[in-house]
Amino acid sequence: MPDFAPSVSRLIDELKRLPGIGQKTAQRLAFYLLRVDREQALALSDAIRDAKDKIRHCSVCNNLTDADPCLFCTNSTRNRSMICVVEEATNIQAVEKTRQFNGLYHVLGGSLSPLQGIGPDKLNIKNLIERLKGGTVEEIIVATSPTAEGEATAVYLSKLIKPLGVRVSRIAMGIPVGSDLEYADEVTMLKAMEGRRDL
Amino acid sequence: MPVHESEAIILQSYALGEGDRLVSFLSRTMGRMRGVAAGARKPKSRFGSTLERLSHVRIWYFERETRELVRINQCEMIESFLSAFSDYASSIALALFSEITGAVLPEKEASDANFRLLLLATQTVKRTGKCELPLAYFALWTVKLGGWLPSLDRCGQCGQALAANDPACFSPSAAALACGKCRRPGMRLVSPPALSLARKMVAERLDRLQDGVAADAAGARAAREVTEMMLDIIEHQIDRKLVSRELLESPA
Ligand SMILES: [Zn+2]
Ligand SMILES: [Zn+2]
Repeated sequence: MPDFAPSVSRLIDELKRLPGIGQKTAQRLAFYLLRVDREQALALSDAIRDAKDKIRHCSVCNNLTDADPCLFCTNSTRNRSMICVVEEATNIQAVEKTRQFNGLYHVLGGSLSPLQGIGPDKLNIKNLIERLKGGTVEEIIVATSPTAEGEATAVYLSKLIKPLGVRVSRIAMGIPVGSDLEYADEVTMLKAMEGRRDL
Repeated sequence: MPVHESEAIILQSYALGEGDRLVSFLSRTMGRMRGVAAGARKPKSRFGSTLERLSHVRIWYFERETRELVRINQCEMIESFLSAFSDYASSIALALFSEITGAVLPEKEASDANFRLLLLATQTVKRTGKCELPLAYFALWTVKLGGWLPSLDRCGQCGQALAANDPACFSPSAAALACGKCRRPGMRLVSPPALSLARKMVAERLDRLQDGVAADAAGARAAREVTEMMLDIIEHQIDRKLVSRELLESPA
């Protein structure tokens, strides 16, 4: 590795901590930031500071928000009998894009992942159970990823929640719209068959 | 750039960049490898569910001379184990299978025995829905294939045969069992049922063991004791803690 001035090395090291950024990309970004004018580079650091200072987790649903409780939790037009459970706050946007879901959300903060040492205690499961105690919630829609971890998390939640008399459903998994059946592997096909519905 | 084709088991996959996956897999003929599957996290990816953990697959990849990561070109499912992850206890055992295999096997050294062991243990968890016995069997045989299994019949200190009904003692660093007389401070006891189960595991195939071992709480406890002992040895050998071991709960 070439020697950089200490402040440049520090910048590269900090950029490297970001997910998906390796040494080369970090160097490219660092030199880009050094090349642009001071104002533009500092706008980035300002934006980071501003977001870090203002954004926190919603005390009800753990969404990222600048007002606590968040806009979803305080919005009186949302349907309070349904909660969609997602792994990360960014997943809320994917569900919102459909404009089909008008209920509330709950962000777990990840999925059960033994290989990363993430067990039930490290996820926001306790405050989800708390939210069900009021009796208003009738259905939980589990929208975790269609991966081994997402599946384990979904089944774990359903075992915990069903005894409370709340309906638990899982988003359908299967063939993506616009793809060709010919290329679907058997697990995807099986999930699609399991998730079939009446016409 | 020649394309390689191999039977493999997916050990782990991590999100990489925009929509890609970094995949660690155990090739039957080439050993443990790491590669990039471009676009594998996108909904219409041609990889589908094949890159999920412990999938038994046929994989096609390119080796790139200057890089340590191969490029995964195509992957076809032989057997999926996704359904086994639905049970939380099983999902932890399966996590240990992949974590241990990744930790004890060096890159690019084929080991057909470790490959068959991983496949057999995973298939047994999926088929039976139980994980105590397969986990103990997997841990013991990983230790044995690594050449780290102490004699289960004799005291490593005085050479006396270990009596069937007396507990033996064990410390992972000593790499040997000890009789009651040679016990030193800090050594843990190994109960007679656990020791006898460990001896059976050395001699019998997992599917035959399944019928011979009590499927009750005592059987599960003996299996867990073997597991803990073997995981101690593995952690001592790899010189670090196994992350997924933290979540292992005591058998019900
Ligand atoms: Zn909220
Ligand atoms: Zn002795």
